[in-house]
Formats: sequence, structure tokens, C-alpha cells
Amino acid sequence: MGREVAESCFDGLIIEMVSAYGRRFYATKPDLASRRIEAIGFQVGHQLIERYTVERPRFSDHLEAIKFICKEFWSELFKKQIDNLKTNHRVGTFVLQDNKFRWFTRVLIDPSSEDNEASQGSSSEATSMLLHFPCGIIRGALSNVGISCAVSADASNLPSCESCILFFALKFSI
Amino acid sequence: MIACVAVVGHQNNPLYLQSFTGADDALKLHHIVHCSLDVIDERVNNPKRSVITLNESYLGLLYPTESYKVYGYLSNTKVKFLVVTTDLDVKDTDIRSFFRRFHAAYVDAVSNPFHVPGKKIISRIFAARVSGIVKAFAPGTYG
Repeated sequence: MGREVAESCFDGLIIEMVSAYGRRFYATKPDLASRRIEAIGFQVGHQLIERYTVERPRFSDHLEAIKFICKEFWSELFKKQIDNLKTNHRVGTFVLQDNKFRWFTRVLIDPSSEDNEASQGSSSEATSMLLHFPCGIIRGALSNVGISCAVSADASNLPSCESCILFFALKFSI
Repeated sequence: MIACVAVVGHQNNPLYLQSFTGADDALKLHHIVHCSLDVIDERVNNPKRSVITLNESYLGLLYPTESYKVYGYLSNTKVKFLVVTTDLDVKDTDIRSFFRRFHAAYVDAVSNPFHVPGKKIISRIFAARVSGIVKAFAPGTYG
């Protein structure tokens, strides 16, 4: 029986990790910070998928693996499934839509800035840094079952995080 | 009696090899494990519908020689688990439960953040767990 940790500790850890990499370690190089955060997510996803696919029979194709990510993998991580999956077969792109991303429900975007444009810019930058970690998790999970792809995320409906909709786009490299 | 167990990664790189015979025949066991990898590749790439289903993890008896039998198990992440045994009559259920425990120990070892994926498993706890599973394995006892 594994030991359990309060979810707020985990939220705090992620926020602190993103802020440490973004503001302290690579303060002048934000794209290096985002790549490091994504690499951490990659290793986590790589190890997690090993654990969650133990009892399952093997996947026969890409679509089955993606459906596993949308259903069982997402339920283990976020206690809910992906709400919508869209695909464009010819281009090899999948779009996963999550209507209430659990890690963002407690992220506070400071609306106190007077200048609307500046606050929009910095809040979207802050959330885009946070998004690299789940993108890395998805990419690591897929790479361990033999599917290499690029994952990008897009958050809409900010700053009201209760109804934040997240789109993860997976592009396959053939 | 189990002669050796092995874990091989998806690029056929050895991740763990442990022999339990006491004699110094590690090289011979390496060789047997290596030959079995070819059998696994063959089974996975050319599925004969009558023999094995496409999505089964447990691959069954791979390679019977005159003194050894090799059983295989393929995980979802293309990691291969092999067991070389000297017993002549081993029940399928025993081997399956062995592989299940072996797989669980492997998952715990790989979840170690200090383990580098693709490199050999150096955890002593994993080695101790595998030795425990091998000792507990005896034909005729289930689980």
C-alpha cells in the first residue's frame, strides 16, 4: 500500500519548481527554463506510464495509445478523463481538450495591474510556463510506448481558472 | 530451479541479468538470453494467429534446449522479461504469477528518480526483491 500526500503539497511543489526554473535558475533564458521543465515532465511521464500499463494488453495502434492517455492515464493523474478528442488523420495531429484542468484551479492570476495589455501578457507567460510540465508528461508517456510526437498546449479563458479550457495538440513525426 | 532472470530494454539493451545457479556460467546464460531475444522479435513481428494473440503480454515458452527452458514476457513499453529455468515441468500459472511479481518489482525500480532510463538497474533493493521472488518460486505452488 503506497503512502499518500496531500494534493496541496503537490500543487505547491509544481508552482515552486516552475518559479525556481523561470526566475532563479534561468532568469535570463526563458526558453531554456521551459525546456528543462518539459524534460522533467518527460521523465515523470516516462516512469508513470510504465506503472499504469502493467496489467493492460499491448496497444495495437496509435489511436489506442492516445485513448489510453485520454482515459486511464488522465484519470490517474487528474481524477477525470479528457473531455474531447479531435483528430486530423492526414496531418497526424490530435487535439485533447480538458475543460477543467485540475492543476490550474488554484492558480491565481493577479488582476491588480491597471494596464490591461501588460497584465494579459504576463499572465499568459506565467501559465505557459506552467503548461510545459503537463506537456512533458504526455510526451514522455507516449515516447515510452513507442510513439514520438511534439506536444504543445494552449489555455483559453484566463484569468477565470474555474472554467479554464486547455488544449493539448499532439503532432506526430513520421 | 530458476537459472537466471533478465530484463532487456526496447532497443535490446540489457537492463538487468542475474544468475542463480552459483556456478560461473554467466556468459552461457547471456548467450541463451540473447538467442531468446530473436525469438521474441519473431513472435512480435509475425503473429501467427493460431499460436498467440497480438496483444498478449505473456509470450510463453520461447526456446527449449536440452537442459533449459526460456519463458518470455513483453510489457506495454516494449521491455522484455526473460526467465531461464532448468525445471522440466513448470506450470503456466506459476510462471505467469512470477512474471507479474517481476514486472511489479521492475516498475518500482524504474520509478526511482535517480535511475537513468536505458541504463542498467543498479538498485540493491530490486536485486533483493528479485532474489526473494525467485526463492519463493517453486513448481507446484501457486502464488
